[in-house]
Amino acid sequence: MDVDLSAQDLEFQQEVRDFLASNAHDPKTDYAQWRLNWFDLAKNKGGWDVPKWPVAFGGPGWTPTQHYIWEKETAVAQTPWDLPFGLSMLAPVLMNYGNEEQQQRFLPDIRARKVNWCQGYSEPNAGSDLANLKTKAQLSDDGSYYTVNGTKIWTTLAHIADWIFCLTRTSDSGKKQEGITFLLIPMKQEGIEVKPIITLGGSHSVNMVHFTDVKVPAENRVGDEGKGWGYAKGLLAHERTGLAGISKSLVALDFLRLQAGEVKRGNATLLDDPAYKSKLAELEIDLLATEFTELRSLASAASGAEPGPESSILKLKGTEIQQRIQKLTVEAGGIYSAAWGKQPVGHSFAKGGMSGYLSSRAYTIYGGASEVQKDVVAKNVLGLKKAK
Amino acid sequence: MNFDLSEEQQLLKDSVDRFVSDNYDLDTRQALSKNDAGFSDTYWQTMAELGWLGVTVPEAHGGFGGNQADTMVLMEAFGKGLVLEPFFASAVLGTRAIVAGASAELQNTLLPKLIAGECRLSLAYAEEQARFDLEDVVTRGTQNGDGFIITGHKSMVQHGGSADYLVVSTRTSGGQQDQQGISLFLVDTKSEGVSIQSFPTVDGQQASEVTFNDVRVSANHMLGDLDNGFGLLQDIAIDGILALAAEAVGAMEILYKDTVAYTQERQQFDQSLSDFQVLQHRMVDMFMEYEQCKSMLYRATLEVVQKGRDAMRIVHALKYMVGKNGTFVGENAVQLHGGMGVTEELRIGHYFKRLLVIDAQFGNSDHHLSCFAG
Repeated sequence: MDVDLSAQDLEFQQEVRDFLASNAHDPKTDYAQWRLNWFDLAKNKGGWDVPKWPVAFGGPGWTPTQHYIWEKETAVAQTPWDLPFGLSMLAPVLMNYGNEEQQQRFLPDIRARKVNWCQGYSEPNAGSDLANLKTKAQLSDDGSYYTVNGTKIWTTLAHIADWIFCLTRTSDSGKKQEGITFLLIPMKQEGIEVKPIITLGGSHSVNMVHFTDVKVPAENRVGDEGKGWGYAKGLLAHERTGLAGISKSLVALDFLRLQAGEVKRGNATLLDDPAYKSKLAELEIDLLATEFTELRSLASAASGAEPGPESSILKLKGTEIQQRIQKLTVEAGGIYSAAWGKQPVGHSFAKGGMSGYLSSRAYTIYGGASEVQKDVVAKNVLGLKKAK
Repeated sequence: MNFDLSEEQQLLKDSVDRFVSDNYDLDTRQALSKNDAGFSDTYWQTMAELGWLGVTVPEAHGGFGGNQADTMVLMEAFGKGLVLEPFFASAVLGTRAIVAGASAELQNTLLPKLIAGECRLSLAYAEEQARFDLEDVVTRGTQNGDGFIITGHKSMVQHGGSADYLVVSTRTSGGQQDQQGISLFLVDTKSEGVSIQSFPTVDGQQASEVTFNDVRVSANHMLGDLDNGFGLLQDIAIDGILALAAEAVGAMEILYKDTVAYTQERQQFDQSLSDFQVLQHRMVDMFMEYEQCKSMLYRATLEVVQKGRDAMRIVHALKYMVGKNGTFVGENAVQLHGGMGVTEELRIGHYFKRLLVIDAQFGNSDHHLSCFAG
């Protein structure tokens, strides 16, 4: 057992640090231009713009340790914003199940961050029970196109997306997991209506998307008709491991400590308050353990093993930790956390704290609610039967 | 980066797993715990023959030359079997004191006997007024000619009744709670003035209250330097916490697995208990708290072995987590076993009791949380 980085890993870590330091954004220059340029430079490093893509599709072929180093370093450095939908969720499906034409048509634009994708999975009556989805796709008699009717919900960033990858129902016979078809649909067209949903944090990121007689060419179907559930399931596993956010939480916790240190309490600060101090300590300990649980999971992946039982814990523990950090931020703000306008009041960090906390309540709901994750662990790890 | 055991550690694990599964069914264990000594002398000799008693003794002294990670392998397996032999008291705590603090002469006489199982040690550090603070020491060590005279009382000395020597923390100078002014001595339990009251503990093991009434110790039985023994005492405690945590992780594994198995067998309302989602989720929680403890155990052990800057903090974090999660897993194992869970008949209650004692040893979870928080 050892957790020391090898000489090569240390060299890699330095290379990553150098790259991130020398390509940080200069506030005097245009952000959008810098962003696209940054991905270009990363691409020239040998696939650093698509760390998780396989080598065959231009990825860097890093070891799990290198991925870990990248996560750690990019969590503290300034990197351009990026979205997971095309890059981490759709791309693996296309690589595994798309045909060559689809791969050539969609992957380069995803890689260049030119096209924004959104995910059309959940429906008003298909949340945790995702396979219950009803959005209907009817193949035309000549087999050349599908007509799509139905409603998707909680569609993150549908209002800025160019495309949506969608689970649709093409057949009602058999089990509900059968008869689901994976379609790629352009967003900017007749028959698609995007309605904003404002969440508790007061922000607009999720939407309701209505499809009315939307025509989708059959060539936009990924894989076989009726097999979409199988393609989508693999994608959910990718989504889960990405949602733990351990590296980001480590940075956020440091930040939280600074904030709490600004809050005066008598002659001391909030950091000296026994109750607050104790909650902060418990949070840090849980994070330290979860970070190592992630390392164990990476190490077992590195040795070629299937993801061990420890990986199933990451989404559950990781999202809870993110929520606790948000909660302690709100607590640090005290009464100022109640202010809801654009005007900053009280501590510099108080504005936005409440909104962040309220938004974070979704973390244990999306990507498979915590209760669904526990069902998964019960079945796959403890070997129990599906509960009634 | 890897968490695999080395080839040597794997061999060690195989042999200790075999020892536990061959020798430690519940009935045998319960019978042994009612012996005078509270364990089996035969098993103790087996441990010596297999080289375990010298696992952390340097090779130059005939030991295995291992570190805390090797001890972890043994202790985790002992935790799965609720092993009774005083490995922890003697081969972990006592031996560390000798290896790190004894004179060359004393090491030469004592280490071979320790490795051979001919001699047993324990650590006498706890005092009633100190609660969990190692530096709060009232027992006095007073210089007298060439040697020292020890006077005072030590509590809850694990397996003190079967120990040949005790490692005793004494106050040789300074105030009651000063780290400076503490000295450690190796005291022969047969010395005049040592009186030992032994009693069982709730986990089926044994402990002793020990009174030192003007006990004479020669100067070459001092471990570490005069007045500067606190660092050594703390190092012994760190090794102790790592070993206890490994034992706890072993015990927690048995508890969650036994619970899963029991709820699958037990039929109520015309179905297995394990088919109820509310019970499944509880068991998932037990499993997760076990895995998190294991992660923290690895983290702390590696941090200590590699002498990391954060070692002490991580050890505090570990002991906090072991206490909290161990109690959680134990209480829920009992709960999910229903009425059977509160009987002596099933083994889970015994693992639960061991975890409760582990929480209290070397500082409970509250103590270590406040140390961690600073």
